[in-house]
Amino acid sequence: MTTDKPERELVVEAGPEGGLVVGPIDRLLNLARKHSLWYMLFGTACCAIELMQTGGPRTDADRFGMVFRSTPRQADVMLLAGTITYKMASRVRLLYEQMAEYRYVIAMGSCASTGGLFQGSYAVVKGGDLIVPVDVYLPGCPPRPEALVEGLMLVQQKMEREPWLKKAHGKLPQPVDPWPEGAELHR
Amino acid sequence: MDALYELITGSDLGFWWKQLLLAVLIGAVGVIVFSVALVYAALMTYLERRVSGRVQSRVGPNRVGPLGLLQWLADGAKMILKEDVIPAAADRPLFRLAPYPVVIGVFAAFASVPFGEWLIAADLNVGLLYLLAITSLVVVGILMAGWASNNKWSLFGGIRSAAQIVSYEVPTALAILVVVLMAGSLSTQDIIREQGGWPWDWYVFRQPFAFAAFFLYFTAALAEGNRTPFDLPEAESELVAGYNTEYSGMRFGGFYLGEFGNVYLMCAIATLVFFGGWQIPGVSPAEHHGSWLWQIVGFGLFFVKAWAASFVVVWLRWTLPRLRVDQLMSLCYRYLVPLSFVCLLGTAVLMMLVPAGSLFDSLLRFGTFGFGLLVAAIFFWRVLWHIRHVGDRIDLKILARGVRGRFDPAIQHRAYGAFRKQQKQPEESR
Amino acid sequence: MSQIETIQARLLELVPESSWSDGAAGDPFAALPADGWHAACLAVRDDPALGFDFLRSLSGVDRPADDRIEVVAHLFSYKHRHALVLKTHTGRDGGALPSIHDVWPAAEWYEREIFDLLGVRFEGHRDLRRLLMPEDWQGHPLRKDYREAEHYRGIPTRRPGYAAPDRDEP
Repeated sequence: MTTDKPERELVVEAGPEGGLVVGPIDRLLNLARKHSLWYMLFGTACCAIELMQTGGPRTDADRFGMVFRSTPRQADVMLLAGTITYKMASRVRLLYEQMAEYRYVIAMGSCASTGGLFQGSYAVVKGGDLIVPVDVYLPGCPPRPEALVEGLMLVQQKMEREPWLKKAHGKLPQPVDPWPEGAELHR
Repeated sequence: MDALYELITGSDLGFWWKQLLLAVLIGAVGVIVFSVALVYAALMTYLERRVSGRVQSRVGPNRVGPLGLLQWLADGAKMILKEDVIPAAADRPLFRLAPYPVVIGVFAAFASVPFGEWLIAADLNVGLLYLLAITSLVVVGILMAGWASNNKWSLFGGIRSAAQIVSYEVPTALAILVVVLMAGSLSTQDIIREQGGWPWDWYVFRQPFAFAAFFLYFTAALAEGNRTPFDLPEAESELVAGYNTEYSGMRFGGFYLGEFGNVYLMCAIATLVFFGGWQIPGVSPAEHHGSWLWQIVGFGLFFVKAWAASFVVVWLRWTLPRLRVDQLMSLCYRYLVPLSFVCLLGTAVLMMLVPAGSLFDSLLRFGTFGFGLLVAAIFFWRVLWHIRHVGDRIDLKILARGVRGRFDPAIQHRAYGAFRKQQKQPEESR
Repeated sequence: MSQIETIQARLLELVPESSWSDGAAGDPFAALPADGWHAACLAVRDDPALGFDFLRSLSGVDRPADDRIEVVAHLFSYKHRHALVLKTHTGRDGGALPSIHDVWPAAEWYEREIFDLLGVRFEGHRDLRRLLMPEDWQGHPLRKDYREAEHYRGIPTRRPGYAAPDRDEP
C-alpha cells in the first residue's frame, strides 16, 4: 500500500495480509493512549524488584505517564515480572482476563519469556506466552530498569501503529480454564 | 449571571419564553461550572503526580505538553477509550449508577465556590450548608459502588469510606460553624466580605479558637476527602483499590476526578472560610466591586491560595503513613469532635465578652497572627535545620543557583561545576 | 559422656524400639518404625532432659531401591541447645504415617509438602492438600520414577526447541 501523504499524518504498516492505515484521529487517540500507560502492580518473582525500581527515581516511569494501578480493571499493561509456576498460571490468566481492553502484556525476564533456567523444572510454566498473549519479550535475569522502560516504550510504539478500535487481539495460545468444572475456586 | 437573570425576567417576553431562556441560562452555567470543575480536578491530578515525583526525588510526568501539563488530557482520553467492564456478579443498575452521585456531589459543589467576587455561579444564602450537604452525596455513590461490585475489597472500601466520611462530617461542620458564628452568615460571599485582605483580617487569625478550628477543619476535611493519612478506603496494601476495584474506563474516571475535585473543593472552602478568599490587601470592598482589574487580581489571589492549600494536601499525602481504622475513628470521636465543640463554645463566649473593634479584640487578632507567624517560623527553621544536617547532599545555595541557572546558561554552568567539585570532596562540605 | 551419647541413652530409654545409627555420611540419627512415630515425637518433645521444642525441618526422601519413602525430622532444643535427627519410613504405594502437626504445629505445611511432592498420606492431618503444585496435579514430582505429562490443563510443559535434560531419561 502506498500513499502520497507524508508519513507524519499517515502511518502505513505493511503486513503479509495487507496494510493497516492509521488516520489522524486514531493518531491523536493513540498519542493519548501511549502517554497514559498504566501498569498493573503484579509480580510473581524477583523481577518484581526491578519493576519497583522502574517506578523509582533513577528510571522514573511516571515521566512517560506510566503509573501503577493495583487493580487489573484499570491497568493497560500487565508485566509478567518473574517466574510463573503452574499454580500461579491460572491466577495470571484470571488477572489477564480481568483487565479491560485494550491490554498489553510484557514478559519480563527470561523466566516469563521462556521459562529461563527452569527448563527442567516440574513446577514452572515454560514461558508466559503459553498462558497469555505476550506483546513484548524482555531478556535479562532480571532485566535492568532501563530495559523495562525500553520494553514499555516498545509497547508505546506498538500502540502508535494500530487503529485502536481494530486492535488485532493476539490469538490466545491454548485456552486455559482457570476454574474447570468441579474444581474449588481458589479465593 | 444576576444581570442576565434580571434582563430575562424584566423583558416583555411571554411566560414560557422566559422560562425557556432561564432554563438555557441555567444549563449554560451548569456546563461552564462542570467544565471548570473538570479542569480543576484534572489539574489536581497533575499537581499530585508532579509533587509526588519531587517528594520521591523523581521528575513526574513531563512528556505530554510543556512540563507534562497536558498529562490529564491523555489520561482522560485513555479512560474514555478503555473498555467498560461490568462484572457478571455485579448488581448492574447500581454498578452503572454509582459514579454519578460521586461526580455530581463534587462538581455541583463548585457552583457555590466563589472564585472571584463576580465569579460565582450561585451565591446562595445557605452557601456553606449547600457545600457541606452536596458533598455528602459522595458517600452514597461510594457505598453504591462498594455494594454493587459484589467484591469483598470493594465492600470493605465502601463501608470504610462511608464510616469515615459520615464521622468526619461532624468536626468539619463544627469547625466551619465557628466562622459562621463570627460572620453571621452562611453565604460564601458574605463570609469573604466580612474578612479583609490583610492576613490579620482573615478569620484564621481573628482569635485563637478560629485558629484551632482551621486545623480541625483541615484534618477532618483530609479524612473526608479520603486523603492520606486517612486514605483507608483505597489502601492498596489491604484492599486492592477500595471501592473502585471493579471499575474500569470512564466509570473509574468519575471516581478519580471526583476524588481530586474533592481535594480542590476542600482547599477552596478553607480559602474562603479562613483565608480571606479573593480579598486583596489594601483594597476596600467598594473599590474592589467596581473594578475589572481588581476582579482579576482577586481571582488570581483565590487561585493562588487554594492551590497552595492543595499543595499542602498533596505534600501531606506523600509524607505521612496511613492510620489504622480504629485510630481513625478514635481520632474523630475522642479528639476532633470534642475539640471542635470547645472551639465553637469558646468563640461564642469570646463574641459575647469582646466587642468587635475593641482593644482586646485587636490584641487577640494580632496575638493569634503573631502566634501563627511563630509556628510557621519554627516550622521553616526546623526544615532548614534538617536540610543543613543532611550535609552535602542538599545545598540550598546550589539549589537556588540551579533555579536561577534555568534562565542563565552561564550560572547554570557554574552551578554544575560547583556541584561536581562538591561531589568529589564530600567530607569538606560537612 | 558426650552430649550425643546422653541424648542417645535417654532416647533409648524413652523409645526402646528406636535403632541408632552413627550416620557415617552425615549427622547421627535414630530410625523409628512408623507406628511409634507420633508417640516418639511426643516423648522427645515433652521429656525434660531432651526438650526438643523446635522442628527445624521435616522432609521426605524417595528410596525406590528399598521400595520405601523416608521422612526425616530435624529437631532442635532451645533449652538445652542440642539437636537430633529422627527418621521413619513408609511404603511407596499408598504409604501412610501418623501426622505430627499436633506435636509441632510447624509440621503442618511440611507434611503438606511431603504429601504433595512424594505422596505420603499423613493420617490425622487436619488439612492435607497439595501445597506447591496445583490441586489437580497428577503424580508426585519428587519421586524418582516421576514422568512429567506433556500438558497441564492445555499448557505444554515443554518449550519447543529447548532442552529439558531431566525429561528424557527416567
